[in-house]
Amino acid sequence: MENEFFEQRTDLSKLGTAVEQIKATLAKIIVGQQESIDLLIAGILADGHILIEGVPGVAKTLTAKLISKAIDARYSRIQFTPDLMPSDILGTSVFNPKSTEFEFKRGPIFGNIILIDEINRAPAKTQSALFEAMEEKQVTVDGHTYKMEEPFTVLATQNPVEQEGTYRLPEAQLDRFLFKIEIKYPSLADEIAIITQQHQQKTTDQLNHIEPVLSAAEIIALRQQVKALHVEHKLLEFTAKIVFESRNHKALYLGGSPRASLAIINGAKALAAIRGRDFVTPEDIIYVAAPVLRHRIMLTPDKEMEGVTPDEVIAQIIQKIEIPR
Amino acid sequence: MQKLLFTFLFVLIAGLFSGGAFAASVKKTPAKLQTDSSAIVVKSFSADSINTYKKAKEFNYNGTVIEAPSAWDRFWAYFWNKLFGKLSNSPLAGAFIKYTLLALAVALLVYVSFKLVGMDAVKLWMGQANKTLHYTESLENIHEINFDAEIEKAIALHNYRLAVRLLYLKCLKQLSDNELIRWQTDKTNSAYIYELNDPSLRQAFTLLTRQFEYVWYGGFSIDSNAFKNINQLFQNFKKQLA
Repeated sequence: MENEFFEQRTDLSKLGTAVEQIKATLAKIIVGQQESIDLLIAGILADGHILIEGVPGVAKTLTAKLISKAIDARYSRIQFTPDLMPSDILGTSVFNPKSTEFEFKRGPIFGNIILIDEINRAPAKTQSALFEAMEEKQVTVDGHTYKMEEPFTVLATQNPVEQEGTYRLPEAQLDRFLFKIEIKYPSLADEIAIITQQHQQKTTDQLNHIEPVLSAAEIIALRQQVKALHVEHKLLEFTAKIVFESRNHKALYLGGSPRASLAIINGAKALAAIRGRDFVTPEDIIYVAAPVLRHRIMLTPDKEMEGVTPDEVIAQIIQKIEIPR
Repeated sequence: MQKLLFTFLFVLIAGLFSGGAFAASVKKTPAKLQTDSSAIVVKSFSADSINTYKKAKEFNYNGTVIEAPSAWDRFWAYFWNKLFGKLSNSPLAGAFIKYTLLALAVALLVYVSFKLVGMDAVKLWMGQANKTLHYTESLENIHEINFDAEIEKAIALHNYRLAVRLLYLKCLKQLSDNELIRWQTDKTNSAYIYELNDPSLRQAFTLLTRQFEYVWYGGFSIDSNAFKNINQLFQNFKKQLA
């Protein structure tokens, strides 16, 4: 977005090109879901972990897999099952008879883009293995701390909690996800396009020919650029007010944490960059507020019984606060 | 082991039989009835004590003497009679009126006490749920700002950033006055853009919004020349609106 009266302070052309390339790559296979794709890219640029939720069969895993394929970085996939152990994720010390010493064998968490499929099919004990890695980007085993390699991003998919064989993720873990993206059923037109594409056997061919468009080093550089974007103090106050109000809302049992405030700002910066601006507007903040807060807040049991959704409460909260202008 | 167990059981059974035999050998003797042969002393009450008790007020069950109502009682009777008529004479209605008035008096007393202490009684009962934000700013009502004077002041102080903001708010006021948008503090700039139905007006307002966003949210520095150009855009928009 250019403005003839003001000179651009930040060169966002490279970022814009990269975003367009990723979108084009995904559009070859994924039909629709523009908002989800924007948020996925924003999440990666904001150096955050992303939780993708949807009923079975809406291409959650496929979207995450495609994003991973579009980035030339070390990719690993962990399928979460009820019998998965923390050591299956983090790694374990194995005795080496040759050296007569224990050696740490790194688990699949040691990668750049980690796709955790069906994350809520493993119990809380296994989930807790991810806490340190997701927040501090390190793993401590047997007294040794192993740093993760940058970029480190977890893309996790899950079915809604009401589905058979799923567990509710611990609050501490949910708070570590920058966004929770909800993938809905496609529209009728989109569904027809999906069937047509599959019928013409385009999808499988395209999936095998996806070329990476960004390297790990480029991702790191773009993240630095996003981090440096301008945010007016009034907008920081606006963000804090949204999160603060979530802690006092009568429909909520648990509100947003300070980490949620930081996540809104980081997400809004990434979104502003995608939209071609080097500064954040209130609209960016409002746009990311729901994906940032919806998995962090908890409804009171009576509101949950009434069928109120977290997104409705977030919209109510935002409506109460004056837009800084 | 079996031998030991057998010995233990033998001793136990033998003990039980020998105990029973011992009990059977004890001869029972008939119980002897004890009679109370002590002398009976008749107690008598002192006549003085009985007289003292008889004179005591606590033992007077003859009822109180109804005295003639005082002037104060007559006043209140007259007052209640005037206020509630015959209702006040009925014992049930009288009690109801009395306790209702008492409750009102207590409520008034509590209210006055809260007011004197400076506490909000409503908040106290509603608890945390209705807690409002501590730092809510006073909502800026664009219909109460003297824009021309404020813009002049900002330009005089070379505060062009503020001047652009005021120009934009004035523009929103004009759109609201012309009923092209519905002004609401929680609406975003894009929401106002979408509210405009006229494509040319929408395009012009989008341009103004972009200038405002660069200056106000983008923190871009603005000099007198840039301000002159932006101001011109706002003046053109004003003409377009007219």
